[in-house]
Amino acid sequence: MATILHAVVGYFLLLIIVRVLARRAGSQMTLFDFVLVFLMGGIIILSTVGNDRSVTNCTCAVIAVALLHRATSWAKSKSPRIGAILDGTPLTIIKNGEWQQEVLRGMKLRPEDIEAAARSANVTRMQDIDYAILERNGRISIFPREDA
Amino acid sequence: MAPLTILRAVFGYLFLVLMVRVVGRRPGKQLTPFEFVLIFYLGGLTLTGMVGKEVSLTNAICQILTVAVCHYGLAWLRFRSARVAKLLDGVPLILLEHGQWRTNTLAHMRIQDDDVMDMARDQGLKDLTRIKTAVLESYGEISIIPLEKEKGSDG
Amino acid sequence: MAEQSATSSIGDSVPKVGEVAVGEDLEFQRRWWQFERAIWTFFLLVLLADLLGLFGRGWLAKAKRTDSAQTVTLDYERIERASTPSIMTFHFKPAAIRNGRIALYVSEDLIKSLGAQRISPQPLTSAMGDNGILYTFPVTTTPATAEIELEPSFPGPHHFRVQVSGGQSIDASVFVVP
Repeated sequence: MATILHAVVGYFLLLIIVRVLARRAGSQMTLFDFVLVFLMGGIIILSTVGNDRSVTNCTCAVIAVALLHRATSWAKSKSPRIGAILDGTPLTIIKNGEWQQEVLRGMKLRPEDIEAAARSANVTRMQDIDYAILERNGRISIFPREDA
Repeated sequence: MAPLTILRAVFGYLFLVLMVRVVGRRPGKQLTPFEFVLIFYLGGLTLTGMVGKEVSLTNAICQILTVAVCHYGLAWLRFRSARVAKLLDGVPLILLEHGQWRTNTLAHMRIQDDDVMDMARDQGLKDLTRIKTAVLESYGEISIIPLEKEKGSDG
Repeated sequence: MAEQSATSSIGDSVPKVGEVAVGEDLEFQRRWWQFERAIWTFFLLVLLADLLGLFGRGWLAKAKRTDSAQTVTLDYERIERASTPSIMTFHFKPAAIRNGRIALYVSEDLIKSLGAQRISPQPLTSAMGDNGILYTFPVTTTPATAEIELEPSFPGPHHFRVQVSGGQSIDASVFVVP
Protein backbone atom coordinates (compact mmCIF):
# COMPACT_ATOMS: atom_id res chain seq x y z
CA MET A 1 0.00 0.00 0.00
CA ALA A 2 2.73 2.42 0.97
CA THR A 3 4.70 1.51 -2.09
CA ILE A 4 1.84 2.23 -4.44
CA LEU A 5 1.08 5.52 -2.74
CA HIS A 6 4.71 6.53 -3.02
CA ALA A 7 4.70 5.46 -6.66
CA VAL A 8 1.70 7.64 -7.43
CA VAL A 9 3.12 10.67 -5.68
CA GLY A 10 6.52 10.04 -7.24
CA TYR A 11 5.10 9.83 -10.74
CA PHE A 12 3.20 13.10 -10.49
CA LEU A 13 6.07 14.85 -8.79
CA LEU A 14 8.37 13.87 -11.63
CA LEU A 15 5.73 14.91 -14.13
CA ILE A 16 5.42 18.37 -12.61
CA ILE A 17 9.13 18.95 -12.27
CA VAL A 18 9.97 17.83 -15.77
CA ARG A 19 7.14 19.91 -17.15
CA VAL A 20 8.39 22.99 -15.39
CA LEU A 21 12.04 22.47 -16.22
CA ALA A 22 11.82 21.25 -19.78
CA ARG A 23 11.31 22.98 -23.07
CA ARG A 24 14.29 25.13 -23.31
CA ALA A 25 15.21 25.85 -26.88
CA GLY A 26 17.29 23.14 -28.39
CA SER A 27 16.00 19.63 -28.72
CA GLN A 28 19.01 17.71 -27.56
CA MET A 29 19.23 16.55 -23.96
CA THR A 30 22.37 18.03 -22.54
CA LEU A 31 24.71 16.09 -20.31
CA PHE A 32 23.34 17.91 -17.33
CA ASP A 33 19.80 16.90 -18.22
CA PHE A 34 20.91 13.29 -18.01
CA VAL A 35 22.41 13.88 -14.59
CA LEU A 36 19.14 15.43 -13.46
CA VAL A 37 17.19 12.43 -14.73
CA PHE A 38 19.48 10.14 -12.78
CA LEU A 39 19.28 12.17 -9.61
CA MET A 40 15.55 12.73 -9.55
CA GLY A 41 14.71 9.27 -10.79
CA GLY A 42 17.01 7.64 -8.30
CA ILE A 43 15.65 9.54 -5.35
CA ILE A 44 12.08 8.70 -6.21
CA ILE A 45 12.96 5.04 -6.71
CA LEU A 46 14.51 4.71 -3.28
CA SER A 47 11.54 6.35 -1.69
CA THR A 48 9.03 4.23 -3.60
CA VAL A 49 10.64 0.93 -2.73
CA GLY A 50 11.33 1.75 0.89
CA ASN A 51 12.76 -1.10 2.90
CA ASP A 52 10.94 -3.79 0.95
CA ARG A 53 13.22 -4.78 -1.88
CA SER A 54 11.50 -8.00 -2.81
CA VAL A 55 10.78 -8.81 -6.43
CA THR A 56 7.08 -8.77 -5.57
CA ASN A 57 7.15 -5.24 -4.26
CA CYS A 58 9.25 -3.81 -7.06
CA THR A 59 7.17 -5.54 -9.71
CA CYS A 60 4.00 -4.10 -8.21
CA ALA A 61 5.59 -0.67 -8.12
CA VAL A 62 6.50 -0.93 -11.81
CA ILE A 63 2.97 -2.04 -12.65
CA ALA A 64 1.54 0.86 -10.65
CA VAL A 65 3.69 3.41 -12.50
CA ALA A 66 2.88 1.87 -15.85
CA LEU A 67 -0.85 1.98 -15.10
CA LEU A 68 -0.52 5.60 -14.07
CA HIS A 69 1.24 6.50 -17.28
CA ARG A 70 -1.44 4.74 -19.25
CA ALA A 71 -4.13 6.60 -17.35
CA THR A 72 -2.55 10.00 -18.01
CA SER A 73 -2.11 9.13 -21.70
CA TRP A 74 -5.77 8.25 -21.87
CA ALA A 75 -6.70 11.48 -20.10
CA LYS A 76 -4.56 13.45 -22.53
CA SER A 77 -6.24 11.84 -25.50
CA LYS A 78 -9.71 12.53 -24.15
CA SER A 79 -9.18 16.13 -23.13
CA PRO A 80 -7.06 18.55 -25.18
CA ARG A 81 -6.97 20.78 -22.13
CA ILE A 82 -5.18 18.17 -20.08
CA GLY A 83 -2.90 17.57 -23.01
CA ALA A 84 -2.05 21.25 -23.07
CA ILE A 85 -1.38 21.30 -19.34
CA LEU A 86 0.78 18.20 -19.35
CA ASP A 87 2.61 18.58 -22.65
CA GLY A 88 2.27 22.20 -23.54
CA THR A 89 1.22 23.60 -26.90
CA PRO A 90 3.25 24.76 -29.86
CA LEU A 91 3.88 28.51 -29.73
CA THR A 92 4.42 30.98 -32.55
CA ILE A 93 7.62 32.96 -32.19
CA ILE A 94 7.67 34.64 -35.57
CA LYS A 95 4.48 35.46 -37.40
CA ASN A 96 4.60 36.94 -40.88
CA GLY A 97 8.15 37.98 -40.27
CA GLU A 98 7.25 39.69 -36.98
CA TRP A 99 8.83 38.62 -33.74
CA GLN A 100 6.32 37.83 -30.99
CA GLN A 101 8.06 39.53 -28.10
CA GLU A 102 5.71 38.23 -25.46
CA VAL A 103 6.40 34.63 -26.35
CA LEU A 104 10.11 35.23 -26.73
CA ARG A 105 10.32 36.79 -23.30
CA GLY A 106 8.05 34.20 -21.69
CA MET A 107 9.99 31.24 -23.06
CA LYS A 108 13.32 32.98 -22.50
CA LEU A 109 14.44 32.58 -26.05
CA ARG A 110 17.51 34.35 -27.31
CA PRO A 111 18.00 35.41 -30.93
CA GLU A 112 20.87 32.92 -31.13
CA ASP A 113 18.48 30.00 -30.54
CA ILE A 114 16.32 31.02 -33.47
CA GLU A 115 19.32 31.69 -35.65
CA ALA A 116 20.60 28.18 -34.96
CA ALA A 117 17.25 26.71 -35.92
CA ALA A 118 17.20 28.83 -39.05
CA ARG A 119 20.62 27.57 -40.05
CA SER A 120 19.49 23.95 -39.81
CA ALA A 121 16.63 24.87 -42.12
CA ASN A 122 19.14 26.34 -44.53
CA VAL A 123 17.85 29.85 -44.05
CA THR A 124 20.66 32.35 -43.82
CA ARG A 125 18.91 35.63 -43.22
CA MET A 126 16.50 36.28 -40.42
CA GLN A 127 14.40 38.45 -42.69
CA ASP A 128 13.69 35.40 -44.82
CA ILE A 129 11.72 33.72 -42.08
CA ASP A 130 7.99 33.82 -42.48
CA TYR A 131 6.93 31.70 -39.54
CA ALA A 132 8.83 30.17 -36.66
CA ILE A 133 7.11 27.80 -34.25
CA LEU A 134 8.44 26.63 -30.89
CA GLU A 135 7.32 23.02 -30.70
CA ARG A 136 6.36 21.23 -27.51
CA ASN A 137 9.62 19.37 -27.30
CA GLY A 138 11.74 22.51 -27.71
CA ARG A 139 12.46 22.21 -31.39
CA ILE A 140 11.94 25.30 -33.51
CA SER A 141 10.29 24.83 -36.89
CA ILE A 142 11.23 27.42 -39.48
CA PHE A 143 9.10 28.32 -42.47
CA PRO A 144 10.95 30.59 -44.88
CA ARG A 145 9.18 33.15 -47.02
CA GLU A 146 7.90 31.76 -50.29
CA ASP A 147 9.88 34.21 -52.34
CA ALA A 148 13.14 33.69 -50.46
CA MET B 1 21.46 -19.70 -3.82
CA ALA B 2 22.97 -18.64 -7.11
CA PRO B 3 20.15 -19.91 -9.33
CA LEU B 4 17.74 -17.59 -7.54
CA THR B 5 19.76 -14.52 -8.35
CA ILE B 6 20.02 -15.47 -12.00
CA LEU B 7 16.30 -16.19 -12.08
CA ARG B 8 15.58 -12.74 -10.70
CA ALA B 9 17.83 -11.17 -13.32
CA VAL B 10 16.10 -13.03 -16.16
CA PHE B 11 12.68 -12.19 -14.81
CA GLY B 12 13.63 -8.55 -14.29
CA TYR B 13 14.94 -8.20 -17.82
CA LEU B 14 11.98 -9.88 -19.49
CA PHE B 15 9.52 -8.02 -17.32
CA LEU B 16 11.11 -4.70 -18.22
CA VAL B 17 11.06 -5.58 -21.92
CA LEU B 18 7.36 -6.31 -21.59
CA MET B 19 6.64 -3.10 -19.70
CA VAL B 20 8.51 -0.88 -22.09
CA ARG B 21 6.75 -2.51 -25.01
CA VAL B 22 3.35 -2.22 -23.43
CA VAL B 23 3.64 1.29 -22.01
CA GLY B 24 4.50 2.67 -25.41
CA ARG B 25 5.66 6.13 -26.18
CA ARG B 26 4.41 9.33 -27.69
CA PRO B 27 5.15 9.66 -31.38
CA GLY B 28 8.18 11.73 -32.11
CA LYS B 29 11.76 11.60 -33.18
CA GLN B 30 13.19 11.49 -29.71
CA LEU B 31 12.11 10.47 -26.29
CA THR B 32 10.61 13.39 -24.47
CA PRO B 33 12.40 14.36 -21.25
CA PHE B 34 9.58 12.88 -19.23
CA GLU B 35 9.84 9.60 -21.08
CA PHE B 36 13.52 9.47 -20.19
CA VAL B 37 12.65 9.94 -16.56
CA LEU B 38 9.87 7.39 -16.78
CA ILE B 39 12.09 4.74 -18.32
CA PHE B 40 14.68 5.39 -15.69
CA TYR B 41 12.02 5.14 -12.99
CA LEU B 42 10.75 1.81 -14.32
CA GLY B 43 14.25 0.45 -14.85
CA GLY B 44 15.39 1.52 -11.42
CA LEU B 45 12.42 -0.07 -9.69
CA THR B 46 13.03 -3.30 -11.58
CA LEU B 47 16.71 -3.39 -10.70
CA THR B 48 15.96 -2.83 -7.03
CA GLY B 49 13.83 -5.94 -7.07
CA MET B 50 16.50 -7.83 -8.97
CA VAL B 51 19.30 -6.97 -6.62
CA GLY B 52 17.37 -6.96 -3.36
CA LYS B 53 19.86 -6.99 -0.56
CA GLU B 54 22.55 -8.92 -2.40
CA VAL B 55 24.94 -6.14 -3.08
CA SER B 56 28.11 -8.16 -3.42
CA LEU B 57 30.32 -7.59 -6.45
CA THR B 58 29.90 -11.25 -7.34
CA ASN B 59 26.17 -10.87 -7.48
CA ALA B 60 26.46 -7.71 -9.52
CA ILE B 61 28.70 -9.35 -12.10
CA CYS B 62 26.51 -12.41 -12.21
CA GLN B 63 23.34 -10.42 -12.81
CA ILE B 64 24.92 -8.07 -15.32
CA LEU B 65 26.17 -11.03 -17.31
CA THR B 66 22.75 -12.65 -17.14
CA VAL B 67 21.09 -9.51 -18.48
CA ALA B 68 23.70 -9.24 -21.23
CA VAL B 69 23.13 -12.85 -22.27
CA CYS B 70 19.37 -12.37 -22.25
CA HIS B 71 19.71 -9.25 -24.33
CA TYR B 72 21.93 -10.96 -26.85
CA GLY B 73 19.58 -13.92 -26.95
CA LEU B 74 16.61 -11.70 -27.61
CA ALA B 75 18.47 -9.83 -30.32
CA TRP B 76 19.41 -13.11 -31.98
CA LEU B 77 15.84 -14.40 -31.76
CA ARG B 78 14.58 -11.17 -33.24
CA PHE B 79 16.94 -11.49 -36.13
CA ARG B 80 15.97 -15.06 -36.85
CA SER B 81 12.24 -14.84 -36.53
CA ALA B 82 9.98 -12.26 -38.15
CA ARG B 83 7.31 -13.19 -35.68
CA VAL B 84 9.50 -12.39 -32.72
CA ALA B 85 10.51 -9.15 -34.39
CA LYS B 86 6.87 -8.16 -34.72
CA LEU B 87 6.19 -9.04 -31.12
CA LEU B 88 9.15 -7.07 -29.85
CA ASP B 89 9.04 -4.05 -32.09
CA GLY B 90 5.55 -3.82 -33.41
CA VAL B 91 4.70 -3.08 -37.00
CA PRO B 92 4.44 0.15 -38.97
CA LEU B 93 0.91 1.46 -39.14
CA ILE B 94 -0.68 3.73 -41.67
CA LEU B 95 -2.29 6.80 -40.17
CA LEU B 96 -3.28 8.86 -43.16
CA GLU B 97 -3.74 7.72 -46.70
CA HIS B 98 -5.42 9.24 -49.74
CA GLY B 99 -6.68 12.09 -47.60
CA GLN B 100 -8.40 9.69 -45.19
CA TRP B 101 -7.49 9.18 -41.53
CA ARG B 102 -7.35 5.67 -40.19
CA THR B 103 -9.51 6.51 -37.21
CA ASN B 104 -9.27 3.09 -35.61
CA THR B 105 -5.50 3.17 -35.61
CA LEU B 106 -5.43 6.75 -34.38
CA ALA B 107 -7.72 5.90 -31.48
CA HIS B 108 -5.83 2.80 -30.39
CA MET B 109 -2.46 4.47 -30.61
CA ARG B 110 -3.76 7.64 -28.99
CA ILE B 111 -2.46 9.91 -31.71
CA GLN B 112 -4.00 13.21 -32.60
CA ASP B 113 -3.87 15.03 -35.86
CA ASP B 114 -1.68 17.52 -34.00
CA ASP B 115 1.01 14.91 -33.68
CA VAL B 116 1.00 14.21 -37.39
CA MET B 117 1.05 17.93 -38.14
CA ASP B 118 3.98 18.30 -35.74
CA MET B 119 5.99 15.92 -37.85
CA ALA B 120 4.80 17.49 -41.07
CA ARG B 121 5.98 20.91 -39.95
CA ASP B 122 9.35 19.39 -39.28
CA GLN B 123 9.56 18.56 -42.95
CA GLY B 124 8.45 22.00 -43.99
CA LEU B 125 4.87 21.10 -44.85
CA LYS B 126 2.35 23.72 -43.96
CA ASP B 127 -0.85 21.76 -43.67
CA LEU B 128 -2.41 18.35 -43.82
CA THR B 129 -3.50 18.54 -47.42
CA ARG B 130 0.10 18.41 -48.54
CA ILE B 131 0.56 14.95 -47.06
CA LYS B 132 0.22 11.88 -49.22
CA THR B 133 0.81 9.20 -46.63
CA ALA B 134 1.60 9.27 -42.93
CA VAL B 135 3.03 6.16 -41.34
CA LEU B 136 3.59 5.51 -37.66
CA GLU B 137 6.82 3.58 -37.44
CA SER B 138 7.28 0.84 -34.90
CA TYR B 139 9.74 2.92 -32.94
CA GLY B 140 7.33 5.78 -32.62
CA GLU B 141 8.38 8.24 -35.27
CA ILE B 142 5.82 9.39 -37.79
CA SER B 143 7.06 9.32 -41.37
CA ILE B 144 5.45 11.78 -43.72
CA ILE B 145 5.43 11.24 -47.43
CA PRO B 146 4.47 14.53 -49.03
CA LEU B 147 2.44 14.93 -52.15
CA GLU B 148 4.87 15.33 -54.96
CA LYS B 149 5.09 18.65 -56.69
CA GLU B 150 4.18 17.97 -60.29
CA LYS B 151 7.54 17.57 -61.94
CA GLY B 152 7.18 14.30 -63.77
CA SER B 153 7.15 12.02 -60.76
CA ASP B 154 6.99 8.31 -61.38
CA GLY B 155 5.60 7.00 -58.11
CA MET C 1 33.89 -24.78 -52.50
CA ALA C 2 30.61 -23.23 -53.50
CA GLU C 3 30.17 -19.66 -52.38
CA GLN C 4 26.85 -18.71 -50.96
CA SER C 5 25.20 -15.89 -52.82
CA ALA C 6 25.76 -12.67 -50.93
CA THR C 7 23.01 -10.84 -52.72
CA SER C 8 19.36 -11.35 -53.36
CA SER C 9 17.05 -9.33 -55.48
CA ILE C 10 14.79 -6.73 -53.88
CA GLY C 11 11.62 -8.02 -55.40
CA ASP C 12 8.69 -7.40 -53.15
CA SER C 13 10.38 -8.22 -49.87
CA VAL C 14 8.68 -5.41 -47.96
CA PRO C 15 4.93 -5.72 -48.46
CA LYS C 16 3.35 -2.74 -50.11
CA VAL C 17 0.24 -0.90 -49.20
CA GLY C 18 -0.88 1.06 -52.21
CA GLU C 19 2.32 2.50 -53.58
CA VAL C 20 4.24 2.75 -50.37
CA ALA C 21 6.39 -0.13 -49.14
CA VAL C 22 5.30 -0.06 -45.53
CA GLY C 23 5.14 -3.61 -44.26
CA GLU C 24 1.98 -2.96 -42.30
CA ASP C 25 0.31 -5.99 -40.79
CA LEU C 26 -3.07 -4.96 -39.51
CA GLU C 27 -4.07 -8.49 -38.63
CA PHE C 28 -1.15 -8.80 -36.24
CA GLN C 29 -1.79 -5.36 -34.86
CA ARG C 30 -5.42 -6.11 -34.09
CA ARG C 31 -4.43 -9.16 -32.14
CA TRP C 32 -1.76 -7.13 -30.40
CA TRP C 33 -4.36 -4.57 -29.33
CA GLN C 34 -6.43 -7.39 -27.90
CA PHE C 35 -3.39 -8.63 -26.01
CA GLU C 36 -2.76 -5.14 -24.68
CA ARG C 37 -6.28 -4.87 -23.31
CA ALA C 38 -5.95 -8.25 -21.65
CA ILE C 39 -2.64 -7.47 -20.07
CA TRP C 40 -3.66 -4.11 -18.69
CA THR C 41 -6.66 -5.77 -17.05
CA PHE C 42 -4.30 -8.38 -15.67
CA PHE C 43 -2.00 -5.70 -14.30
CA LEU C 44 -4.92 -3.97 -12.64
CA LEU C 45 -5.92 -7.25 -10.99
CA VAL C 46 -2.37 -7.87 -9.82
CA LEU C 47 -2.25 -4.42 -8.27
CA LEU C 48 -5.60 -5.00 -6.59
CA ALA C 49 -4.38 -8.30 -5.19
CA ASP C 50 -1.27 -6.56 -3.92
CA LEU C 51 -3.31 -3.87 -2.20
CA LEU C 52 -5.50 -6.49 -0.55
CA GLY C 53 -2.44 -8.23 0.78
CA LEU C 54 -2.44 -11.37 -1.34
CA PHE C 55 1.29 -10.95 -1.85
CA GLY C 56 2.08 -10.13 1.73
CA ARG C 57 2.04 -6.91 3.66
CA GLY C 58 -1.67 -6.43 3.70
CA TRP C 59 -5.01 -7.34 5.12
CA LEU C 60 -5.33 -10.81 3.56
CA ALA C 61 -1.92 -11.85 4.80
CA LYS C 62 -2.57 -11.25 8.47
CA ALA C 63 -3.36 -14.33 10.52
CA LYS C 64 -4.14 -15.07 14.15
CA ARG C 65 -3.94 -18.37 15.97
CA THR C 66 -4.68 -19.31 19.54
CA ASP C 67 -3.64 -22.60 21.05
CA SER C 68 -6.29 -24.92 22.46
CA ALA C 69 -5.06 -24.46 26.02
CA GLN C 70 -5.61 -20.73 25.77
CA THR C 71 -2.06 -19.85 26.74
CA VAL C 72 -1.08 -17.67 23.86
CA THR C 73 -2.45 -15.92 20.77
CA LEU C 74 -0.10 -15.63 17.86
CA ASP C 75 -0.28 -12.79 15.30
CA TYR C 76 1.66 -13.60 12.22
CA GLU C 77 1.60 -13.11 8.45
CA ARG C 78 0.75 -16.16 6.43
CA ILE C 79 2.27 -14.61 3.33
CA GLU C 80 5.56 -12.81 3.56
CA ARG C 81 8.08 -11.34 1.21
CA ALA C 82 11.69 -12.39 0.93
CA SER C 83 14.29 -10.11 2.52
CA THR C 84 11.57 -7.95 3.96
CA PRO C 85 11.20 -7.46 7.70
CA SER C 86 7.98 -8.44 9.44
CA ILE C 87 6.92 -8.80 13.03
CA MET C 88 5.42 -11.83 14.73
CA THR C 89 3.63 -11.06 17.98
CA PHE C 90 2.82 -13.35 20.89
CA HIS C 91 -0.02 -12.30 23.18
CA PHE C 92 0.33 -14.30 26.37
CA LYS C 93 -2.67 -15.19 28.50
CA PRO C 94 -2.71 -15.74 32.30
CA ALA C 95 -2.47 -19.52 31.87
CA ALA C 96 1.01 -19.11 30.44
CA ILE C 97 2.67 -17.75 33.53
CA ARG C 98 4.44 -20.18 35.86
CA ASN C 99 6.46 -18.92 38.77
CA GLY C 100 6.51 -15.47 37.32
CA ARG C 101 8.01 -16.74 34.11
CA ILE C 102 6.81 -17.61 30.63
CA ALA C 103 8.68 -20.30 28.73
CA LEU C 104 8.24 -20.16 24.98
CA TYR C 105 9.48 -22.77 22.54
CA VAL C 106 10.02 -21.81 18.90
CA SER C 107 11.01 -24.35 16.27
CA GLU C 108 14.23 -23.84 14.39
CA ASP C 109 12.45 -23.00 11.15
CA LEU C 110 11.67 -19.69 12.70
CA ILE C 111 15.35 -19.05 13.17
CA LYS C 112 16.72 -20.60 10.02
CA SER C 113 14.36 -20.24 7.11
CA LEU C 114 12.21 -17.45 8.45
CA GLY C 115 15.25 -15.58 9.67
CA ALA C 116 14.44 -14.42 13.17
CA GLN C 117 16.42 -11.24 13.70
CA ARG C 118 15.73 -10.21 17.21
CA ILE C 119 13.34 -11.04 19.96
CA SER C 120 11.97 -8.49 22.35
CA PRO C 121 11.87 -8.26 25.24
CA GLN C 122 15.26 -9.80 25.95
CA PRO C 123 14.70 -13.33 27.21
CA LEU C 124 16.18 -14.33 30.56
CA THR C 125 17.51 -17.58 29.22
CA SER C 126 17.57 -19.31 25.88
CA ALA C 127 18.20 -23.02 25.65
CA MET C 128 18.67 -25.10 22.52
CA GLY C 129 17.02 -28.43 22.08
CA ASP C 130 14.21 -30.34 20.49
CA ASN C 131 14.91 -28.75 17.06
CA GLY C 132 14.26 -25.31 18.39
CA ILE C 133 14.98 -22.84 21.14
CA LEU C 134 13.28 -22.43 24.48
CA TYR C 135 13.14 -18.87 25.75
CA THR C 136 12.18 -17.78 29.24
CA PHE C 137 10.81 -14.34 29.93
CA PRO C 138 10.20 -12.75 33.28
CA VAL C 139 6.67 -11.44 33.61
CA THR C 140 4.55 -9.85 36.28
CA THR C 141 1.03 -9.52 34.91
CA THR C 142 -0.75 -10.16 31.70
CA PRO C 143 -1.39 -8.98 29.11
CA ALA C 144 2.23 -9.69 28.22
CA THR C 145 3.55 -9.58 24.67
CA ALA C 146 6.72 -10.67 22.98
CA GLU C 147 7.77 -9.91 19.44
CA ILE C 148 10.09 -11.62 17.02
CA GLU C 149 11.30 -9.72 14.00
CA LEU C 150 11.53 -11.97 10.95
CA GLU C 151 13.32 -11.56 7.66
CA PRO C 152 12.84 -14.62 5.47
CA SER C 153 15.58 -15.36 2.96
CA PHE C 154 14.19 -17.83 0.50
CA PRO C 155 10.82 -18.07 -1.20
CA GLY C 156 8.59 -21.07 -0.69
CA PRO C 157 6.40 -22.56 2.00
CA HIS C 158 7.84 -22.76 5.51
CA HIS C 159 6.27 -24.49 8.49
CA PHE C 160 6.97 -23.67 12.07
CA ARG C 161 5.76 -24.46 15.52
CA VAL C 162 5.57 -22.50 18.73
CA GLN C 163 4.52 -23.68 22.13
CA VAL C 164 4.27 -22.23 25.58
CA SER C 165 5.39 -24.67 28.30
CA GLY C 166 2.22 -26.01 29.77
CA GLY C 167 0.14 -25.20 26.73
CA GLN C 168 -0.55 -26.78 23.38
CA SER C 169 1.55 -26.25 20.28
CA ILE C 170 0.59 -24.03 17.40
CA ASP C 171 1.63 -25.28 13.98
CA ALA C 172 1.43 -22.83 11.17
CA SER C 173 3.00 -22.12 7.86
CA VAL C 174 4.18 -19.07 6.06
CA PHE C 175 4.44 -18.79 2.33
CA VAL C 176 7.31 -16.56 1.28
CA VAL C 177 7.06 -14.85 -2.08
CA PRO C 178 10.26 -13.75 -3.83
